[in-house]
Amino acid sequence: MTDVTTGGDDTARDGVPADATAAKGDKMISLEHVDKFFGGFQALTDINMNVGLQEVVVVIGPSGSGKSTLIRCVNRLEKHDSGRIVVDGVEMSDDLRSIQEIRKETGMVFQQFNLFPHMTVLENVTLGPRQVRRWNKAKADEVAMKMLERVRIPEQADKYPGQLSGGQQQRVAIARALAMQPKSMLFDEPTSALDPEMIKEVLDTMEDLAESGMTMVVVTHEMGFARAVADRVVFMADGQIVEVGTPEHFFTDPQEERTKLFLSQIL
Amino acid sequence: MSGGPTDVATLEPTSAPEPSPPPARRVTPREWVRENLFSTWYNSLLTVVFGALIVWVIFGVARFVFVTAQWEIVRVNLTNFMVGRLSRDLLPRVWGGVGVLALTIGLLTGLSPVSGGWRERVGNLRRAGPLVFLVVVFLSLAGTATPWFLTLGTVAVAVAGYGCARFLPAVIARRAGMVGVVGVIASYLVVSGGAGPSYAAFGGLLLTLFLALGGIVLSFPFGLLLGLGRRSTFPAVRVVCVGYIELIRGVPLITLLFMSGFALGFFLPPGMSRPELVTRALVALVLFTAAYVAEIVRGGLQGVPAGQTEAAQAIGLSPLRTTYLIVLPQALRNVIPALVGQFISLFKDTSLVTFLGLLELLGVAQVILEQPDFRGAGLQTETLMFASLIYWSWCYSMSRASQRLETRLGVGER
Repeated sequence: MTDVTTGGDDTARDGVPADATAAKGDKMISLEHVDKFFGGFQALTDINMNVGLQEVVVVIGPSGSGKSTLIRCVNRLEKHDSGRIVVDGVEMSDDLRSIQEIRKETGMVFQQFNLFPHMTVLENVTLGPRQVRRWNKAKADEVAMKMLERVRIPEQADKYPGQLSGGQQQRVAIARALAMQPKSMLFDEPTSALDPEMIKEVLDTMEDLAESGMTMVVVTHEMGFARAVADRVVFMADGQIVEVGTPEHFFTDPQEERTKLFLSQIL
Repeated sequence: MSGGPTDVATLEPTSAPEPSPPPARRVTPREWVRENLFSTWYNSLLTVVFGALIVWVIFGVARFVFVTAQWEIVRVNLTNFMVGRLSRDLLPRVWGGVGVLALTIGLLTGLSPVSGGWRERVGNLRRAGPLVFLVVVFLSLAGTATPWFLTLGTVAVAVAGYGCARFLPAVIARRAGMVGVVGVIASYLVVSGGAGPSYAAFGGLLLTLFLALGGIVLSFPFGLLLGLGRRSTFPAVRVVCVGYIELIRGVPLITLLFMSGFALGFFLPPGMSRPELVTRALVALVLFTAAYVAEIVRGGLQGVPAGQTEAAQAIGLSPLRTTYLIVLPQALRNVIPALVGQFISLFKDTSLVTFLGLLELLGVAQVILEQPDFRGAGLQTETLMFASLIYWSWCYSMSRASQRLETRLGVGER
């Protein structure tokens, strides 16, 4: 894969050896022949996809193409109907233990933030570590504050989500996922519900995260982010993966007609 | 509402021109009346008509209460209204129980986490205004000085509890809810003497409170489980819960009470003794209320967005923890008004146990009409009015307590 600093924006990236890690072969997330039906409607058709350690994969495509369903299958918010999903060596099965094991190691950020409105920011962030990781309060609080500093809102720790702006809420949601110290992170359209002026603060946070070497799968409509941060771009349409490539290759020289059509509509 | 223009200025240190305060208008009572009551000819007409109506009603009620009514029947039977046929030897226990409750309320008031000092703490007790009014009415009817002294003693105990609250060890102080629960249980044990179902001897207001409080305490968890069960992923659980709820909701409460009161014997194996009548009445009330609580809880559960469950699952919470840490707190918070409404209904529905021959508040109000001194004197209005006053002051207090709970939990804010 080629240099990923082709984004053109002010986002020079250095030091993440996308090539090396992706080629390392230690797959973090792998989907093989995954199908998903909603009633009679086939939402995903024969999905094959690997995400390597420390790789950032951005999934784009028109609405209804199955992007969200795809990443929701990875942590079993949707149950896939056939095929295999393996996350960090654990195969997703109906066994609740395998599901819990994968969820523990896979953070997720939602379009609508989904913060818990009856808990303070700090309680939101410490809930998982305390209940699932079984850390004591002191350790959970310490890690939570560290994560809140990382998303640059430690001063909001004692507020309730309702008192924060959308961008701040989404950054808290990122901190909440990070506090579990997951091995990979899933982002389901994290900026789609935000006012334009708040999108940047969330994207910046995600970019920092990518630079730190987090394995990330990001469903988004932010093409600038895809160009600047992605190691690979996956284009989906009608429940199928149409094209995969590096951002440069993908945005400058798409191969498939469907991809060209999509890019012509949005760029 | 609060915060004059100076407050705004301190909050926003911008160079924007300071808004001049709106011109203060002094409205004389005369002007107010003219503007609000007599602005047009039809407004004037309405004011006159309804003013006359209101005066007439108030006058009628006042004349009845202070002139016509013969409160002797209530005065003589005050103790019956309170405890029914409970042996008079046990009255000290009842007062003891009241004392324990007073102590608990005092402690809780002292422990309540408000910033405004004692004024605000005690101010919160204004919610109990209707009950204070009730006590005043009782005392004004009391023929002897004893109730006065005992009431003063009770108040003194409450004040002492308030004063002692700060000396409680932090371990206890942090668990104000537990203090309340222990206080109520202790109060019940003091009254009942702790042994056996001695509540069977309760009567009057004491029985009403026992049935209402027991009904609330037992039907809430039961209804909660039914409501959760109705949304269970296990079909068997779901079917049982739906069946129960729909069966109970399809039957009038009075038939349930009659069944538990008179028909239960047919369903029990021979040789098994029937439980006390009060127990059976309580069970019927609990079974009935639980079905309604279940539906209220279900409504609350449906109001919690699916994203909340998903977020909890995504960080790895088990289904059980997701329910009681994330979903239930939000669901219950949103249905407080409906729940309290149901419990107010329950409070008033306890009057139906009269038809089983139990002498709760309404039962006493009926029975004393047959006393030799008052038979045929046509004093229904007096006794029913007095019973109504007692029901009203308790229910209205519950309603106000619910409002306070809503404000504290921020219902309506998102």
